[in-house]
Amino acid sequence: MNSRRTKIGAGVAALAASALLLTACTGGGAADNTGETTGTLDFYTDKAAWEPDFDELNTASEEQAEITLNTTGYSDANQYDAFIKQSFRTAKSPGLFTWHTGSSLTELVEEDLIAETTDIWTKAVDEGWATEDLRETYTVDGKQYCVPMNIAYWVMYYNKKIFAEQGIDVPTTWEDLDAAATKLKSAGITPYYQTSTLFTFQWFQQLVAGTDPELYEGLSTGEVKYTDPEIVDIMNLWLEEHEAGWFSDAGSTVDPAVGLKQGDYAMINFGSFFNGSLDGAGMVSGEDYDMFVIPATNPDLEQTPVAVESGPLCVAESSSQKALGLAYSEWWMSADAQSAWNDARGDVAFNPKATVSDPMLADLGTTVADGEHLLFTRYFEATPTPILTVALEQFGAFNANPGDPLPFLEAIQAEADKYWADQE
Amino acid sequence: MATRTAPYQWSARGFIAPGVILVAVLLYLPLLWTTFLSLTEYNGLGDPDLIGFENYVEMFEDPEFVGSLLNTLLWVVGTLLIPVGIGLALALLTWNLPGGVWLRLPFLIPYALSGIGVGLIWSFILSSNGALDQALAAFGITDPPRWLVDAPLNTVVMIIAAAWQGVGVNALLFTIGLNSIPKEPLEAARVDGATGGRLFTSILWPMLRPLTAVVVGLSIVASLKTFDIVLSMTKGGPGRASETLALTMYKETFVNSDYGLGSAIAVFLTIVTMIAAILYLREQLSKKHEF
Repeated sequence: MNSRRTKIGAGVAALAASALLLTACTGGGAADNTGETTGTLDFYTDKAAWEPDFDELNTASEEQAEITLNTTGYSDANQYDAFIKQSFRTAKSPGLFTWHTGSSLTELVEEDLIAETTDIWTKAVDEGWATEDLRETYTVDGKQYCVPMNIAYWVMYYNKKIFAEQGIDVPTTWEDLDAAATKLKSAGITPYYQTSTLFTFQWFQQLVAGTDPELYEGLSTGEVKYTDPEIVDIMNLWLEEHEAGWFSDAGSTVDPAVGLKQGDYAMINFGSFFNGSLDGAGMVSGEDYDMFVIPATNPDLEQTPVAVESGPLCVAESSSQKALGLAYSEWWMSADAQSAWNDARGDVAFNPKATVSDPMLADLGTTVADGEHLLFTRYFEATPTPILTVALEQFGAFNANPGDPLPFLEAIQAEADKYWADQE
Repeated sequence: MATRTAPYQWSARGFIAPGVILVAVLLYLPLLWTTFLSLTEYNGLGDPDLIGFENYVEMFEDPEFVGSLLNTLLWVVGTLLIPVGIGLALALLTWNLPGGVWLRLPFLIPYALSGIGVGLIWSFILSSNGALDQALAAFGITDPPRWLVDAPLNTVVMIIAAAWQGVGVNALLFTIGLNSIPKEPLEAARVDGATGGRLFTSILWPMLRPLTAVVVGLSIVASLKTFDIVLSMTKGGPGRASETLALTMYKETFVNSDYGLGSAIAVFLTIVTMIAAILYLREQLSKKHEF
């Protein structure tokens, strides 16, 4: 009997200790907002490679807003997303963190996890620091959340030396682009880069939006099915290009920037942040490589569609640094901040009043704003996450083993049917 | 009697309490939490919604999950045939051989690398236009197989990559087993004229059984949870052609944020691993008294 009692006692003690440990681990709820608007702000990002750029920006933010970023960079995006999600359950929810637009942003807003930034956006738009179009990307149920960390346009990068050697001019129509690809292929040069992992969507995105922007929009709202004849036709066009040998080997793991440099392919459809990778690979902007807006597949379109992506900087609603994070967000939108960021990072500026040091990127910003281009949300953000995951896999499989597109499209549509049924 | 032993018992409990608490908090509670999550729909935010066994039904209805299960089985079979088989052969060939330890040493070095490191090295070798393709091109083979693109070839080459890492340690374990065999029965067998294959099948193999059971048991468990090499070499692709159960679990949980389905796969994988380990070890270790 005694023995049994002591066993129970030990068990209770162990459970009590476990409970104490667990309480310590979970932190016990949200901390109060300290209300301070100057000081050191804890900042988390999945762009670990950009950490030195954020550090460099501290000189300007310290001087202009009296805020210094204490940056923690994650190099694994999935690990980062899981960390941020779990942090909302603790007192350590971040004062500032990078996130994604589209369904990922809506998901956080619906759970009341991020601070509203409507006032900041109103001021930014009034000052001419951001466009109404961009504000739309950050709007959920009529209110704004987060501010844009960066903006990128998805264009075609090309190896200037190869184009010059082959006597190819920058294509201005889809026909020109096809002619360039044909010429390159006949000279033994693979025209386009492709892969079977992650960035598998861009050619699909380009072909669909370039054929009919409304069709593209319909895919993101569920009104158009991936198995609709128009989409199948577009995939068959992609298949024809595959069969013509226009795409690089999907199984290659050579860095895309290095591949373009060494002429594994002549062109690569990528976001305008790719300048950094190409510079890092030893190519000189405007000399070794350049970029052009991809002409619309359908020549009857009045505007040329250009995919745009924008990654947000967000503030957690329950963070002890909420006021500090919002103060930084407000400063971040300013032309001074964006000019300083551009000096540090070298990127397209979302703020039209910021100065952009790279002339190629400055030109791109002017070009897409000339009224002849239609900006549309990149497939990655426009597509709900569960559908996107399957689509990325299926496009990857298609790139690796191009064939009848229907089975690939049916697999994506099966997931889309499931997703949209859940939304009803 | 109980009063007299109590102080001793209390101090013993004091010593084991930290360990028990750590095991409970770090192993059992997460296991229970994962089991609970597997019965819910949960995106990592807010509160999980209890949905019963729907995740398990969805899991088995998904053809990609079945593909992932088949790939995992291929890993189990391949891991037993290649690293365990070669490890045993290597141990036998170098056992009692002067300088045998120096022959085994190079095979042991890869074991010091992480799975991700091994994956990166082999990706460099096997990717299209990679080191192997370039070497083959030097011999006039310009259209080599697409090692990491075509299924099930990609799973097979990844098993070989894993074998490259695992052969040495298996050889080491088998050598320990061979060295622990008493000399008397070996000498008696040799006196009776048993050598080569006859010595192996009649004496060495039966006497190695306890160790073989451990090596094979560990290999089965390790292959069922194969993750890092696949992640670093193919990410489970193209499409989901080379995915294993552990990778499917990771993708559903952290890429799709479907924590419920990811947990259901985790629970399934845990049950399969435990059943395989228990059945195998019980079967093998119960035979040790037969000789």
